Amino acid sequence: MPAKVSQKKNPKRNPLGKVFAGNIGALAVGLKYFFDPNRITLLYPHEYIKLNKGYRGFIVLIKEKCISCSSCARICPAAAMRMLSVKVYNEKLKKYMIKKYPVINYNRCIFCGLCVDVCPTEALYHVPYHDIVYENMNDMILSLEDFQKEPENIEFKEGIPVKYYFDERRGLVKTPYMEELEKRNEKEEKNQKVEGEGEKGAS
Amino acid sequence: MEAGTASSGSGIHLPGMEIAKASKNRYEVMIGPAHPGSGHMRIFVEVDGDIMVKVDPDIGFVHRTMEKLAEGREWIQNIPLFERIAILDACNITLPYVRAVEKLLGIEAPERARYLRTLLCEINRVASHLYGMGIFGVFLGHSTLYMWAFGDREVFIDLAERLTGARLTHTYPVFGGVRRDIPDDFPEDARKATRYMRKRLNEYAKIFLNNPNIRSRLENVGVLTKNQAAELGLVGPNIRASGIRYDVRLNEPYEAYGDVDFEIPVFEEGDSLARAWARVEEVRQSLNIIDQVVTWLEKHPRENFMHEKFWKTAPKLYKDVYEGKISYSPKYRIKLMPIFASLKVPPGKSFARVEAGRGEIVYYVESNGDIFPYRVRVVSPSFRNVIAFKYVMPGHRLMDLPAIYGSFDYFPPAFDR
Amino acid sequence: MNPCYYACYIVYKVIVYDIIFYPPVYQFLIIPGLITAIIIAIFIIWFERKAAAYVQMRYGPWEIAPKIGGATQLLADLTRYAMQEIITPQTVDTLQYLLAPIVMVVLALLPLEAVPLTSVKPYFPIPSGYSLLVAVAFTTLSPLFITMMGWASNNKFSITGSVRESFMITSYELISVLGLLTAAAMTRSYDLVKIVNLQMSGKWLGLINPIALFVVFIAVLMSTSGFPFEIPESESELVAGPFTEYSGLLYGLNMGGAYIRRWVFSILITLVFLGGWAPYRPTPGVITGYLIPSLIVSLKAVVIMGIMSFLRSVYGRYRLDQALGIAWEILIPLALLAFGIGLAEAYFGII
Repeated sequence: MPAKVSQKKNPKRNPLGKVFAGNIGALAVGLKYFFDPNRITLLYPHEYIKLNKGYRGFIVLIKEKCISCSSCARICPAAAMRMLSVKVYNEKLKKYMIKKYPVINYNRCIFCGLCVDVCPTEALYHVPYHDIVYENMNDMILSLEDFQKEPENIEFKEGIPVKYYFDERRGLVKTPYMEELEKRNEKEEKNQKVEGEGEKGAS
Repeated sequence: MEAGTASSGSGIHLPGMEIAKASKNRYEVMIGPAHPGSGHMRIFVEVDGDIMVKVDPDIGFVHRTMEKLAEGREWIQNIPLFERIAILDACNITLPYVRAVEKLLGIEAPERARYLRTLLCEINRVASHLYGMGIFGVFLGHSTLYMWAFGDREVFIDLAERLTGARLTHTYPVFGGVRRDIPDDFPEDARKATRYMRKRLNEYAKIFLNNPNIRSRLENVGVLTKNQAAELGLVGPNIRASGIRYDVRLNEPYEAYGDVDFEIPVFEEGDSLARAWARVEEVRQSLNIIDQVVTWLEKHPRENFMHEKFWKTAPKLYKDVYEGKISYSPKYRIKLMPIFASLKVPPGKSFARVEAGRGEIVYYVESNGDIFPYRVRVVSPSFRNVIAFKYVMPGHRLMDLPAIYGSFDYFPPAFDR
Repeated sequence: MNPCYYACYIVYKVIVYDIIFYPPVYQFLIIPGLITAIIIAIFIIWFERKAAAYVQMRYGPWEIAPKIGGATQLLADLTRYAMQEIITPQTVDTLQYLLAPIVMVVLALLPLEAVPLTSVKPYFPIPSGYSLLVAVAFTTLSPLFITMMGWASNNKFSITGSVRESFMITSYELISVLGLLTAAAMTRSYDLVKIVNLQMSGKWLGLINPIALFVVFIAVLMSTSGFPFEIPESESELVAGPFTEYSGLLYGLNMGGAYIRRWVFSILITLVFLGGWAPYRPTPGVITGYLIPSLIVSLKAVVIMGIMSFLRSVYGRYRLDQALGIAWEILIPLALLAFGIGLAEAYFGII
């Protein structure tokens, strides 16, 4: 069924409402939120959003799956992805061969994810975060080795991971994401143990 | 600006750069381009006392040569490019381009893809209207509406993120389909969001639109009559507030708009208040559409999300990715066939339009069979709306400028392209 | 005794007792003058931002001192203003440009000279016989210098802003003066001490004549131009109105000036309509005679300022002609009505 037109008018106001009703309504809403605030702010970097798995964040290459088809480099709208020629030792033919692998320049990348979607062997994937700091612009042009590693997110060390849930009454509600915190605590404990053992060994 | 009144003193005369003599007792105020209330544009205002006598919007400060850039990019690469016209309305802005190219390719998106596009379009429309309302609020010194609208816009941006994987630059519709299907928990989230937003709209009305203070600023200010709106060729909620029944969703239903049940709110008054109310009512209708579309998507099986031409030959891996069998990649992702990277579109001309948040957006696409478009012409809604300033503002007081400017929900980057 | 020590003692005593604790100087500088006003401005600006944040789905100032809700944010802002370079554009009228904000702030504090904060005579800054009249007269001085700022700035936005300021001041100062002087009609006295003493029994003038209180409240809200009633400096069309060309500490003074004026008016409203230091009865002695009543007055005044600050999150900005229309068409008749009611109440001996 197609759309219908509904003729409407600006809501009228009676002369008395002009003075009282509107003012009181506005003040009541204001006071309601003054005493029962509905906060949505993320206290970044003390908290950071633990994004969903589908988020289009930084891109990582799985080199073994790459078939050097160059589709990703061709489809890239920002020319951020380029093919790099690498000498690879071919064990069957027992000689060095030139093979092409994609590398990415995060100066240009717009995170449209077309490269990931077009890859016929699913050799690229997104990590669900994007808060990564590079010290200079040259570092943002990744080498083939760096492109294969998941980049390190600095906030993950200090901030509290937070997830936003939809709520009928409050819109988005932010809740600490405990699984992530526990994981991190376990990791820290392990690290401390390792360090302690290292110290013992040294002494 | 009167022609021929160029100053005779200086030597060089460039067309459009003449300095017009200011009349006696007139005061020329330039709102912009670096002014807290102007956006990326300049408005020449001539004031007689406190009354604006002549208003001349001067655009072009954020021109990005989109149309020319498009001629050097492959067909699919233009989608992320055109998103940048009005980034807060990304799906609506790119959809007509996709539809125009689909017409050239001779394909049409399958049913589920059409519903998915409708879903994102409406999410975008809500977010875009909320953005406009927020800016409107801060123009009138009402910082609460500004923060509320931007905070609640976050709800819909988050919905879009869960659907597409990006908050603003979705790059969602592609030729023949879309790039993702809805996640399993999406319908529930979307329903919660719409229920929340309906409640909030009432509060918006209480604190802003029905607030006597704001009402007196908006009522009978910037009245755009029906005739004037038609003459100037304006689009979007602005003309529907003046009583013109024109909406692409109504006149030429596209995607799933022919199948969902919704209303087009049309107001009579044509003043700033009516334009604001038109947006609020439109948000309500968009919420209805989101509910309906989500229910439809839930009921129907997950198939037909991509046109056969691009999905028939898909290898098994593609289906595995869609079903979530690949551990590191998210579920319901629709992969693109490598043909997209070097798509050749048959020669021809085509034309498509949709109703974006700010009004009708039109694309004219011409192909000569190459991997690049031969010509893409974009007519964005803000470009068509900007002229209204010149005719609506004179006669009002200088303090009405933000009230009128904001009520047109005017987005400077969108006209410059 | 060591003569040097003795000399120091005398100098100390002269400075502390005869200069600083000399009531006019003390009132101007410490309570409720400059230092208190600055502290109150810091608190109220923080409260305003925090209250607005509560309504607006935000946290407000937080980062700088998370444990006390970012209360020291304003100190940081002040430091920044103080460190910033004061730019004097070439086109301005330098002397007036630099002088106007300073004079404005000093004159804004001047009404406090006339305000007694206790009923104990030695602590009156000036003889309190006509103190209400003098205080009200002084409040009308500082807005002139806002107009001067705009004129000296030689900038289209500044001049438009200062013209608006003078429009607003002429209409709303009149209302606040009328409203405050209603009290004189009701009590047959210009003496603030007498006015407060009459209210000691709980018959606050604000309760007896609420229309006058309402009118003065609105007038103060509009004439001291706090956000969003800052029609003269409305950001979306005039950038910053009369203050467009100012930077650094001078801009900070402008911002502070508005709050100081609001503070002065709040104290006047407290004394005239809300019973001043009632229900406390001052007795001789510095603490019981001066500190406690002045604190009570300050507390009441802060509450008034807090209510004014809260309104920023509910209302938007009126258009200039609408604001003037409200003044001349609604508030001035109301103020006259309140004046009449006051006279009638005085005639029938309700007070």
